[in-house]
Amino acid sequence: MANLKLSHIYKVYDNGHKAVNDFSIDIADREFIVFVGPSGCGKSTTLRMIAGLETITAGDLFIGDTLVNDMEPKDRDIAMVFQSYALYPHMSVYENMAFGLRNRKMPEAEIKERVMKAAKMLDIVDYLDRKPKQMSGGQRQRVALGRALVRDPKVFLLDEPLSNLDAKLRATMRAEITALHKSLNTTFIYVTHDQVEAMTMGTRIVVMKLGYVQQIDTPMNLYNSPYNKFVAGFIGTPQMNFFDATLKRNNDKVTVAFSNGDSIDVPYEAVSKIDKNYLDGEKPVTFGIRPEHIDINKDGEGLKFIVTGVERLGNETIIYGKLGDHLGEFTMKDEGNAIVVKLVDRDDLAVGDVVYAQPKQNKLHFFDAETEITLIHKIPLYNTVAAQIGADTLVALGSQTALPEAIGKAISKKDKIELAIPPQAIVKGNDFRLRVARIEKTDGKNLAYLQDGENYLFAIADDDVSEGDDYGFSLLYDKITVKAGGETIVEPIGDEVSLEGRFSKKEARENGERVLHFYYDIGKYSIEAEKENGYKINSIDKDHCYVYTYRYAVDRDKIRTVSAGEDGLDVTVIERLDYKNVCFAKVRTEDGQEFLIKTDKNSTDSILRIAFDGADVSVYSTRIDMKLC
Amino acid sequence: MSNTAKKKFSSQSRNRRISLAVTYTILVVMAVIWLIPLVWIFISAFRCEYQPDGTFIGRVTSNFFPRAVGFENFRLLFTEKYYGVDHAFIRWIANTLIISVIDCIISTFLVLSVAYCIAKLKFKLRKAFMNITMILGLFPGFMSMIAIYFLLKSIGLSGNPDHPELSLVGLVLAYSAGAGLGFQIAKGFFDVIPNALVESAKLDGCTNFKVFWKIILPLAKPIIIYQALMSFTGPWMDFIFAKVIIGADNAKYWTVSVGLYSMLFGTHPDTNLFTQFAAGCVIVAIPIVTLFMFLQKYYVEGVTAGAVKG
Repeated sequence: MANLKLSHIYKVYDNGHKAVNDFSIDIADREFIVFVGPSGCGKSTTLRMIAGLETITAGDLFIGDTLVNDMEPKDRDIAMVFQSYALYPHMSVYENMAFGLRNRKMPEAEIKERVMKAAKMLDIVDYLDRKPKQMSGGQRQRVALGRALVRDPKVFLLDEPLSNLDAKLRATMRAEITALHKSLNTTFIYVTHDQVEAMTMGTRIVVMKLGYVQQIDTPMNLYNSPYNKFVAGFIGTPQMNFFDATLKRNNDKVTVAFSNGDSIDVPYEAVSKIDKNYLDGEKPVTFGIRPEHIDINKDGEGLKFIVTGVERLGNETIIYGKLGDHLGEFTMKDEGNAIVVKLVDRDDLAVGDVVYAQPKQNKLHFFDAETEITLIHKIPLYNTVAAQIGADTLVALGSQTALPEAIGKAISKKDKIELAIPPQAIVKGNDFRLRVARIEKTDGKNLAYLQDGENYLFAIADDDVSEGDDYGFSLLYDKITVKAGGETIVEPIGDEVSLEGRFSKKEARENGERVLHFYYDIGKYSIEAEKENGYKINSIDKDHCYVYTYRYAVDRDKIRTVSAGEDGLDVTVIERLDYKNVCFAKVRTEDGQEFLIKTDKNSTDSILRIAFDGADVSVYSTRIDMKLC
Repeated sequence: MSNTAKKKFSSQSRNRRISLAVTYTILVVMAVIWLIPLVWIFISAFRCEYQPDGTFIGRVTSNFFPRAVGFENFRLLFTEKYYGVDHAFIRWIANTLIISVIDCIISTFLVLSVAYCIAKLKFKLRKAFMNITMILGLFPGFMSMIAIYFLLKSIGLSGNPDHPELSLVGLVLAYSAGAGLGFQIAKGFFDVIPNALVESAKLDGCTNFKVFWKIILPLAKPIIIYQALMSFTGPWMDFIFAKVIIGADNAKYWTVSVGLYSMLFGTHPDTNLFTQFAAGCVIVAIPIVTLFMFLQKYYVEGVTAGAVKG
């Protein structure tokens, strides 16, 4: 039993192909994690990296508290069940199960005890003398499970173990593996391309595509709140229907206008978390609705379609249709025009019927047409707020407040602006005051709906805030994006500073031994790297690391100003930016790199020497998008 | 059946018969050409003809079929003294057997080890190594003969006047040292053993050698037998290397092929040894034929390994 931690794991092959990108997850003890995704998404590669069968290009893998990146598979105390079972054909079932234990020099009596216990658990006692080829697929699968079981490993890894079984057996084995997990109380990591397996077995699911993690969440969260169109389409059978549409707000309603001319109205409350920029009737969005969340009527309300196929499964009926009222020419690729509806207890539809689909209003999904990311986040990413600039004042959210100097400088000539305010940038204060219309508990936080006229302003509130309160708040201006006429005028300031530099090593003799020291070199400033990070960079880029340029990222709060006598990076102050809540200095290094550092409001120095510690530096490759350490 | 259909059918049948007749004629002619030397050697081995004065005729005669048959050639072969060596033929057979068996063991192990490494382990320059061996394989082995001779001579394993028997060690070395390069067929066999088995064994606590020994070898019987056969028959039938490395002087340490050759073209006072040579050829062929007959099934499995997906 153990927890696992995968931290920024990458797998890059020699030909430059990135199979796994920046995979991070904390897996708690006894969790059943499922990696799911289509072929080539990197799920098996990730599992094999955990097993030690593939090397990890970059990132850290912890099993328990032990870093196991360079540990041999046999020493990781994990057991793996392979898709092909991988039973040794020349050994009997008993020998197969005992093989791993014998290699570990376990006494024969204990081996026998363990094998018999596992065999009883899996109901294969009668087959212990048989060779694998004398057994059926299901029995072989049990032997493979048994072989893993007897080892009593910290982590069970299962690589598509059911994909070679027929549908009926698969369902049985699915239930058996779930029961096994419950009885063993061990961490399971299970790889599958079958979303039904993922949904039914996992306590959490990792959805992957093309080497990137798309979403990590519980099965029901994936189903109800998919992060993007891919997850929405991958989870659920038949898959979610997608249509191109635009959204237009009319007071308390939002009209969803489809590209074929049909439209439906939904209450604003159901889509209030969608940024108002999407509700202008022009910005293209993708509308998603699951087949089981559609009602069908014949009285002309909703999205008109003609039935092209009916599948009667007994307990439910699947209706296939095509938008519009005529069949037209048959084509296999009818994306954006096809609709699938799943109905229960209804069997009055036939091919050729023209009917209307009415989506259930609390089950709607909307995605950005370009990025395909959901528009309804549990906690909205930002609030779009209209504001007006006066002489040193900002008028927004029904209040007038002093305009931060940094923003004032950038937008002096624009009087009407738009602010994109993340909920996290709204903090208790006295600059603005709005009524709390509603409090929603989500993701362990209190999301406050602050009533701003007809719109909501979303903020993260403390536990003591309740509905109907008058909520006083201020804004963290450095986290806000300022736009005018669709153009971004002021970017939010992130938490990290990025600097480019080289990597070097120096040899030294310490106590008669040869010791290596590694350094991040930015201009003339050399920061000693943590030894293990130095070796990591060296092992990833080999000797090229001393030639390549790297991007060093440092938390802005970790950068300190030092006196002239200390080691540091000399920078010239170009500009000072006062955001009211915090003040920054825009500085330039001798080699021309510009960045912002936090500074004291009263500071007037034009030349500064800054420093930071090697332990606070994250290193990124500039050749491929990869965090090295 | 209509008349037209009958005509068509009979025309097809006639065409097939003609085609078969031509094919078989060609095959029979080829078979005869191929078999005649073997038959001739076999007949010569049992030829037991005497001249009117009672002397045994051991040389090539003008009559293809012998006038008398018997085992005289075999008797002479096993009892005669050749090149001053008593029971020389038995000695040569023993030398060859020792070399072949030792080479068989060493070469089989080397070939299978190399094939396993190439098929199942990932390491740098693996592909480059495979390409190089492929190119090296295009050159005939005897191109290296002179170099090998001088190398062995320089370390006293060939032409050593004090220890002529060391030439046999040199010969084993020459046969088995480069054996690893002939890994391709065994690799083809190992390629079809699923990698998952190897990985599973590693997770079960095996080292690479243990995976090879406990998992791969038990599954590789056909290729072990194929490889052992190849490694045995190579030295058993080789002439060129044996001739060069052992040399012409020490008849006691000759291999059977060198010995047999010397019966025809050597400096033996009695060059009337053709029929004994033929008898020697038959004896030499016996173990090979026997081995192939019993292990044919494995040989075919081994040689066709990797040709089709299992």
